[in-house]
Amino acid sequence: MIAALGAKAVEDVVNAGRFGRFAWRSVTTSVRGCTRKSTFPLVWTQMFIIGVHSVPVIMITGAFVGMTLAVQAYDQLAGMGLEEHLGVLINISVVKELGPVLAAVMLAGRIGGALTAELGTMNVTEQIDAVRSMGTDPIRYLVAPRLLACLLLTPVLTIFADLMGVVGGALVSFLQFGINSRAYWTFSASAVAFWDVSVGITKAFFFGGAIAIISCFKGFSCKEGAHGVGQACTEAFVASFISILALDFALAVIFKTIYHIFWPIKSIVT
Amino acid sequence: MTHESAGTRGVSLGSIHLEKTTDGNGQERQSAPSEPILEVRNLTKKFGTKLVLDNVSLSIEKGKTTVVIGPSGCGKTVLIKHFIVLQRPTQGQVYFQGQRVDDLPERQLNQIRTHFGYLFQEGALFDSMTIAENIMFPIRHHAKIRDWRQVDEVVKMKLAMVGLDGFQNYFPARLSGGQRKRAALARAIALNPEVILYDEPTTGLDPIRSDIISELIVKLAKELGVTSVVVTHDMKSAYKVANRIIMLHNGKIVADGDADYIRNHPHPVVQQFINGQVSEDDLAVLRMSGAVAAAQFSPKDFEL
Repeated sequence: MIAALGAKAVEDVVNAGRFGRFAWRSVTTSVRGCTRKSTFPLVWTQMFIIGVHSVPVIMITGAFVGMTLAVQAYDQLAGMGLEEHLGVLINISVVKELGPVLAAVMLAGRIGGALTAELGTMNVTEQIDAVRSMGTDPIRYLVAPRLLACLLLTPVLTIFADLMGVVGGALVSFLQFGINSRAYWTFSASAVAFWDVSVGITKAFFFGGAIAIISCFKGFSCKEGAHGVGQACTEAFVASFISILALDFALAVIFKTIYHIFWPIKSIVT
Repeated sequence: MTHESAGTRGVSLGSIHLEKTTDGNGQERQSAPSEPILEVRNLTKKFGTKLVLDNVSLSIEKGKTTVVIGPSGCGKTVLIKHFIVLQRPTQGQVYFQGQRVDDLPERQLNQIRTHFGYLFQEGALFDSMTIAENIMFPIRHHAKIRDWRQVDEVVKMKLAMVGLDGFQNYFPARLSGGQRKRAALARAIALNPEVILYDEPTTGLDPIRSDIISELIVKLAKELGVTSVVVTHDMKSAYKVANRIIMLHNGKIVADGDADYIRNHPHPVVQQFINGQVSEDDLAVLRMSGAVAAAQFSPKDFEL
């Protein structure tokens, strides 16, 4: 049993090392790819696949997040006579936390699964080996465009999710609960700062990177057969989901520390 | 059309492949060895604890067609993947044109790999691209293109070489197995390689399509003057295309010579393989194990 445990630990360390190496190569190749003209058409194609096709699901996700928050928070705030502050709660939650996280989770399922399945199938049918055999770096040709497209588009898609969350929350607040719209927007505008929106979008940038790298790695290390591809897709989604939550926590701590460094007085007052 | 020269016998001595030719009086004379273009020295490959290649040393002569035969799972594909360093050896070295290549970083290997064409077992055509785009792929990545009409001409010429001109705008899914292999071969020769590696080129094809592929291998070797390494277990194709046949068994070379030498090889494993016969011991085990009566059942047997 100890031997099996040891073997599993060694395997996990080896896999972590492989992933670290893959992630490093993907990032450095992508950075270099930004300066090459030949990368742009590949990134453009991926942006269309990843971005355009994801807009509807991301907008629906955002809208429901805002609407649900309004329904859940209204009773608590109305009990204290603070229902006109509902917009503050909804909009802060949406732009800073729920918008980026839920949009990223949705993208991990939609894009991450597709990336892993596509690259996994290419791997088991030797198409990735074919790319290498023709003297082309598969990281440069297959991973870098997908990583760049995810890095660029996840923040944009998060803005869509945020926008729909804000609109959804506002519509429920006005139409269902009859909250005064002028007060709603005034309190929201005074509470939601540019910093909050920036935090959400920066988080989305990291989430996008994590989804792309994890999904591509799982596709590249996919085992043979239909079962292998299916398993790689499942593992990619689970790993992406956990990494999104872990990154969210880590980034929340980091941004809070940065905020306290630059605006210590304001944070005490608020 | 047989490609081997009658009466020749090849012997591998370490890294040098000597060719012995029998003259009219039946005396063996030793001709000067051709220049080796590819060489592996003491190559060992393990996957986990499984030993796939066991201290293999061989050299591939320039301009010749070398066929590697052996039963499934004996390490043939792993061996040719080492030639182009798609696999790195556990131990040993790989040389291309006298330069050690197995320890090179991927970026340098990408340059080396442009000297090779590789025909994968299932073709490995990119299914999201048309046949023309597949053939353009290596050209696009390794040549500065000023005039796209010239590229179209090259694609047309490569497809014509494998008898598929007119299929430029087809997607791989629309082609038959044999056509896919020919299209993959057109892609493999897109960069005018010096060495073409064929991984099971006739597997899964009917006898006529297999013969077409074998003819193409001979044609390309002749017309382009390329060095070919063919991995196969199709003996008809092997005899047709080979200047030299190497047999692998359990990760080791058990026979190395021309077609006649292999045909008359005394090793029982070689004879069983080339004649497609299972050994007496295996046959006895197969006949003894698992009585039919015990293996038959009806759904009622599982009812309580």
